[in-house]
Amino acid sequence: MAATSGGTGGASGAAGAGPARAALVVLAAGEGSRVGHDTNKVLLPLAGRRVFTWSIRWAHSLPQVAQVVLVIREGDREQVMRALARELRDVRVTVVVGGSSRHESEWNALQALAPAIESGETDVVVIHDAARPLAAAQVFLDVIDAATLHGGALPVRDQPALTTLDESAEPAGRRTVAVQTPQAFRAAPLLEAYSRASADAFVGTDTASCVERYTDVAVHCVPGDAGNIKITFPEDLFLAERLLAKADYDLSSKPVPAPPLPGTRRRRSR
Amino acid sequence: MTVEFSDLSCERCDLVTEHELHYAGRLLESVRCTRCGHRMMVSHQALVPAYLHDLEHRVVSKPQRMWRRAAQDPRGFIAGLPRAVVRQPPKFVRELWSLVRR
Repeated sequence: MAATSGGTGGASGAAGAGPARAALVVLAAGEGSRVGHDTNKVLLPLAGRRVFTWSIRWAHSLPQVAQVVLVIREGDREQVMRALARELRDVRVTVVVGGSSRHESEWNALQALAPAIESGETDVVVIHDAARPLAAAQVFLDVIDAATLHGGALPVRDQPALTTLDESAEPAGRRTVAVQTPQAFRAAPLLEAYSRASADAFVGTDTASCVERYTDVAVHCVPGDAGNIKITFPEDLFLAERLLAKADYDLSSKPVPAPPLPGTRRRRSR
Repeated sequence: MTVEFSDLSCERCDLVTEHELHYAGRLLESVRCTRCGHRMMVSHQALVPAYLHDLEHRVVSKPQRMWRRAAQDPRGFIAGLPRAVVRQPPKFVRELWSLVRR
């Protein structure tokens, strides 16, 4: 079931020519395995706001982002709605409840977006992990542009310290990259891929794996950002705080200086 | 000093465990794994300048934030203003005290 929170909505692009009209899906439901107080880390305070609202703020600063869908755990609903009312009053956010896996949560969000996708109101869907609060507007823009052009886009960071071994236990000699979010895909093929995955009971490890299995859409790598960290360990919170302060609490137009990565091999980051 | 609890990965336990997080104002001051007791904290030398920088940002951005809230919900803003004004001084005293007593 979807609920809507917030105000007037984003600056949607014009129909037809012009910038792609993108829908942002923010995954904040977590992994499903909880201990202790059972508090979702994306609900923690980070420099005066909740972790999950930062990245929505950066993405929403782009005129391309016309819709925001936030995937939550049912148990977090009260806290999430309070945070949305306080921190994202001017953003219209559709809240949906996630599933037991990332794939299921994405499918729930896509079902909420299906009418807009089928009517042609949404060109691109951007899927983002709420535990990455420092994904700058520039990264969102890069993946939206690349997905519009190529079909799919992932931000990646080169990992020269990591290598892969082939069957003879020799280094495979290919470059290894860490994949970040946001990941963007043309909306119609993405919805079709998840519909077919649902029919097959296929559960992908990430969005790209499902797209690669069910469509021939090309997934393009764009340069990621070293600052786009995922909150996993306690020290990540300290680092995120410092990075935000260093950026003067504004990542709405931060450039991403990194070279393109030809011939890279995908690897999931932690 | 605000205290929050959340599940984070503990390098020492090699598990997702419950952590106790202590905040000084908006800034994270220390984190402790409730399973193994492993504690991480910002040094006093680093926390005070970081707090002052954050405080400066809060003060500078306050008029803009107040204006935005007033524009979005004038009645709610006016109704909540006296309570907010009364709450601020003890809030700052508590924050400063938590820094001083470390």
